[in-house]
Amino acid sequence: MRQPLPIANPAFKRHESFLVHQRFLYLKVSLALCAAALFAYFYDDPAGARSGNSLTGYSLGVLSALLILQLAWMGIRKRRYRSRLGTVRGWASAHVYLGLSLALIAGLHCAFQFGWNVHSLAYILLLLVIASGVYGTVVYGGTPAQITANRGLLTREAMIIELEQLNEQSLRVADAVNPEVHRRLLHSISHAHIGGGLRTQVFGPEAARFEEEAVSTVQFMASQIAGMEHAAQKAEQARGLMDLLAQRQDLAERINRDIRLHARMQVWLYLHVPLTCALLAAVIAHITSVFLYR
Amino acid sequence: METIFKIAIVGSGPAGLSAAARAAELGLPHILLEAEAHLSNTIYRYQKGKFVMAEPSVLPLRSPISFAAGRREQILETWNIEARGHRINHRLHAEVTAISGGRWAFSLTLADGEVIAAEHVVLAIGLQGNIRKLGCPGDDAEFVQYQLDDPDAYQNEQIVVVGAGDAAIENALALSGHNQVTIINRRGEFDRAKGANNAAILKAIETGGVRCIYNAEVAAVEQTPRANPPGVLALNTATGEAHVPCHRIIGRLGATPPRKFVESCGVHFPSADPTSLPAVSATYESNVPGLYIIGALAGFPLIKQAMNQGYEVVEFIEGHDVAPADEPLLRQKFRTLPGFRDVNAALQLIQQRVPVLAPLTLLQLREFMLDSEIRTPAPGEVIFERNDYTDSFYSIVDGDAEVEFELEGQPRTVKLGAGEFFGEMSLISGRRRSATVRAGHGCVLVETPRRAMNKLIHSVAAVKRVVDEAFLRRAIESGIAPDVPHEALAELAATANLLSFKAGDVLFKEGDASDGVYLIRRGSATISRTMAGREVVLAYVTAGQSVGEMSLMSDTPRSATVRAAVALEAIRLAPAPFRGLLVRYPAVRGRMHEQFRQRVAQNIDAQRQSERGGIIGFLMAQGVGEATDVLLIDESLCVRCDQCEKACTDTHGGVSRLDREAGPTYQNLHVPTSCRHCEHPHCMKDCPPDAIRRSPGGEVYITDACIGCGNCERNCPYGVIHMGVETKSQPSLWRWLVFGGREPGTEGPKVHKDVAKKAAKCDMCKGLPGGPACVRACPTGAALRVSPESLLRATRKA
Ligand SMILES: Cc1cc2nc3c(=O)[nH]c(=O)nc-3n(C[C@H](O)[C@H](O)[C@H](O)COP(=O)(O)OP(=O)(O)OC[C@H]3O[C@@H](n4cnc5c(N)ncnc54)[C@H](O)[C@@H]3O)c2cc1C
Ligand code: HEM
Ligand code: SF4
Ligand code: SF4
Ligand code: SF4
Repeated sequence: MRQPLPIANPAFKRHESFLVHQRFLYLKVSLALCAAALFAYFYDDPAGARSGNSLTGYSLGVLSALLILQLAWMGIRKRRYRSRLGTVRGWASAHVYLGLSLALIAGLHCAFQFGWNVHSLAYILLLLVIASGVYGTVVYGGTPAQITANRGLLTREAMIIELEQLNEQSLRVADAVNPEVHRRLLHSISHAHIGGGLRTQVFGPEAARFEEEAVSTVQFMASQIAGMEHAAQKAEQARGLMDLLAQRQDLAERINRDIRLHARMQVWLYLHVPLTCALLAAVIAHITSVFLYR
Repeated sequence: METIFKIAIVGSGPAGLSAAARAAELGLPHILLEAEAHLSNTIYRYQKGKFVMAEPSVLPLRSPISFAAGRREQILETWNIEARGHRINHRLHAEVTAISGGRWAFSLTLADGEVIAAEHVVLAIGLQGNIRKLGCPGDDAEFVQYQLDDPDAYQNEQIVVVGAGDAAIENALALSGHNQVTIINRRGEFDRAKGANNAAILKAIETGGVRCIYNAEVAAVEQTPRANPPGVLALNTATGEAHVPCHRIIGRLGATPPRKFVESCGVHFPSADPTSLPAVSATYESNVPGLYIIGALAGFPLIKQAMNQGYEVVEFIEGHDVAPADEPLLRQKFRTLPGFRDVNAALQLIQQRVPVLAPLTLLQLREFMLDSEIRTPAPGEVIFERNDYTDSFYSIVDGDAEVEFELEGQPRTVKLGAGEFFGEMSLISGRRRSATVRAGHGCVLVETPRRAMNKLIHSVAAVKRVVDEAFLRRAIESGIAPDVPHEALAELAATANLLSFKAGDVLFKEGDASDGVYLIRRGSATISRTMAGREVVLAYVTAGQSVGEMSLMSDTPRSATVRAAVALEAIRLAPAPFRGLLVRYPAVRGRMHEQFRQRVAQNIDAQRQSERGGIIGFLMAQGVGEATDVLLIDESLCVRCDQCEKACTDTHGGVSRLDREAGPTYQNLHVPTSCRHCEHPHCMKDCPPDAIRRSPGGEVYITDACIGCGNCERNCPYGVIHMGVETKSQPSLWRWLVFGGREPGTEGPKVHKDVAKKAAKCDMCKGLPGGPACVRACPTGAALRVSPESLLRATRKA
């Protein structure tokens, strides 16, 4: 998924992705856990159907609960910057692989018996958390390199400053071309802002609107030039303006993409974390009800 | 007949003011001459509201003028009141332009031509120099200023900034947010500025944020009171005259260093190095009898020291024998010296025992000892360990010490006796210790920190010579010919030259004839070769390594170009004696052959991975060539979560020392703005309280002694130091989870203006047992801290 840095040096081997962390240590641990769970599940064959009520069922239940706690603790460990309990990279690695194994282990725990009750709700929430986690991991894998490629050598701030300057510059030129063009451009500029809160970033960033504006302004200019065949000097200026507008449109697109890519890497956490909270609540409800109404 | 003053004091900084006050107290006829319109110009020019610190705290203050840590305004006001109270005879607007004559009969010429006669002169003009004015008619107009305290104080003005250095660029950029700024450059480029500033101003000019007029000389400042804006700056440009209307002109042309003026008074400087300062006697007298030098110009860069000297110098002129204020400090130091009786005897003893310190004046020795420590390690105790990053210098006063190093896997030891010194290798190269040193029997050492030793090397030529010679001898011995008797090396050493190169300079070019072997003693270099018309970097060599033996051994032209990656010093060994050595000593020859063979293999390897060359080139351009540890981010893994920055903020009092996003990227390798822990930290250069230190692990950090002067922020070419206020309070994770509020890893609340800002930089988390928090907090493994050596230097065993 990721291309290693083109440095052929042993020092860089220490540098590895969270997915590879310590030669897939946690992948191996998870696979071992899954294998043990499967073994226990099939080895233990209580009279009647398998269920969470057997000794194996309980054991797998306890294991699942502990794993969920461990996984949720990620939110804590991540913010304990002084902690010496492993590195966050190691935690993320364990998180991903142990999290995936939970789908199986928790399923074995209830022997895949589902119904319309709080117990199954917990399992469904678990699957949703895992699904969002898988999505997040995929996003973490692909997006970073896209951001770098999209940015070229600029930071977001530099791109925005450059865009503002292009705006000013094109306004100046537009003024010389004709008032109609100037008015049109001014409108386009004053109606577009970049950035905005998370909501705007997810549901149609304003930059997108800016981009639209930019496209339509370019089209408008094209039609203007077409009507200017006879005024050579004006047409020259108008073509200059076209260049500026094209640059501006390109930059707006890049900023927009930058915002979108950044948002993509964060937004899923706004699902992952609340779902985790819901899951924790459901698990507590599940455990209490099991002990109360046995 | 005009009055003849007993003492004329030039400069009214803390040193001069204190001297004048003491003279007034004693009722001596005196005059205090100050160039500017106010007393104590250096302090006056500190930033508004700056918190001035009274370091070193252990030093008692001895002066009729009071001084304690506090705000700039408060200190200046106190001094003005006390100057009046003491009836100091002072004159403002009195720049002294020449001093002639000798004891009892000095004449001081002022800028307006007036001549003042005095029996003694105290020179206390500090090191700041005189601000360069525009140097044209009208350059003192009201709207012309030579300092910018608060860029946000000006809005919607047309402002002209004159100058092309860092200060000019920084001011222009800061003002361009809310004003129309024009920058006037006398030349066609901004290449005197730091890389980042250069790039930023070019960018601003290109995008129209700042207007620039190149190749322009300032001709006149004209006032146009009825017009708006009310001023015009007239310029002579390449294309004729130009007029720039403006509200405000900011001149940032630097200052003229005081050296020329001081030399014109007959005072000698010991070396051409810009950091060298005049030598003065124990009574602060210079080589010109009757002319005394005190304060920063005499090498004492702090206010309290300057004030004490002001008091003492007047006492000395009066013939009183006062013990310097630092006497108790020295006595305290010498207490550990076996058989210690009094300070002067101890100083004499040290000077007798340690030849390298013999050429020092008594004052230099005192100062040297104030900065140094006396150590009496038990036999067998480790003084420093091989591979440590410490850089202090040790002189052996008594007993002996054992140096242990490895040669081709075999341990070896060398004994050093009283009078010898060690530690100069790391001091000069800025690299790890190449040997372990243990104390022998009855060992008494003087340990001198890097800055004090460098100061001495630059101010006493004889010390520099001795240290350089020792370095050369030991470098040849340990690097090239360990098994060759001393005498056989004499010829080689005698023909050796010490050469200095600036970053980017070429040591030798591909195709040149061989002119010898270069032993790099400081800095690093890239080795490159032209392939398909393009210069491709093959390798990177560091201090302690040698280059150029390939063409010498094979007797062919140079096979590659060697270019200094950063400022570099190399010892060139002439070809003839070197070849002679190879003929006579097969072991040396064998070693060289082995190195030669490995280099060839390495180069072939490197040529196959030309990608790698691109990366080395990029990293070198980011100054990684002088780094010992650098933070890199693999952007193909970085999810831009800023966990790294948050970790730094959280573990460092709410002030992040790292800017993840800023900084250049090559392919997916990003070099964020974060300290590189340079081999020769530029930030240390000008730190008045010597608060920037390096720990054995290599971390360059700032101690509590920081006085917040901002010099390090200016001197770091990588822009990684910021002035900030750390908070003590740490947000609680659980409180945030349950009640919200400040999240761990976010900046602290804005602090009150009255709190002293101090320099904040990366300390590589040396206080945290787990190591760099930024790297440990990165969830994906994108962030890593590496030493460029392990990253770039192809593995080599010899
Ligand atoms: C930004 C900054 C912050 C600092 N903060 C601190 C701090 O917090 N605590 C601390 O202890 N130290 C601090 N220092 C260091 C301190 O300012 C100096 O050590 C101290 O000012 C030196 O005193 P001085 O009397 O030797 O020279 P200066 O203070 O430099 O005084 C020299 C005076 O001589 C005048 N002069 C120069 N040439 C002539 C001439 N030809 N004729 C007549 N007059 C002349 C100048 O105008 C000036 O007034 C700081 C330095 C800087 C730059
Ligand atoms: C029951 C299962 C899981 C629970 C309870 C859980 C819980 C959490 C929590 C609390 C966080 C911290 C978020 C924050 O504070 O910002 C987190 C982060 C994360 N989770 Fe999960 N998770 C689970 C399963 C998974 C799975 C299966 C995957 C992947 C396959 C996954 C991938 C991630 C990733 C990539 C992060 C982000 C790490 C970071 O950027 O710091 N999670 N999870
Ligand atoms: S602060 Fe700057 S000069 Fe000092 S060590 Fe770090 S990078 Fe080098
Ligand atoms: S090593 Fe520590 S101090 Fe340095 S940038 Fe990283 S977190 Fe900050
Ligand atoms: S912690 Fe790692 S992934 Fe997050 S911003 Fe820093 S380098 Fe990138």
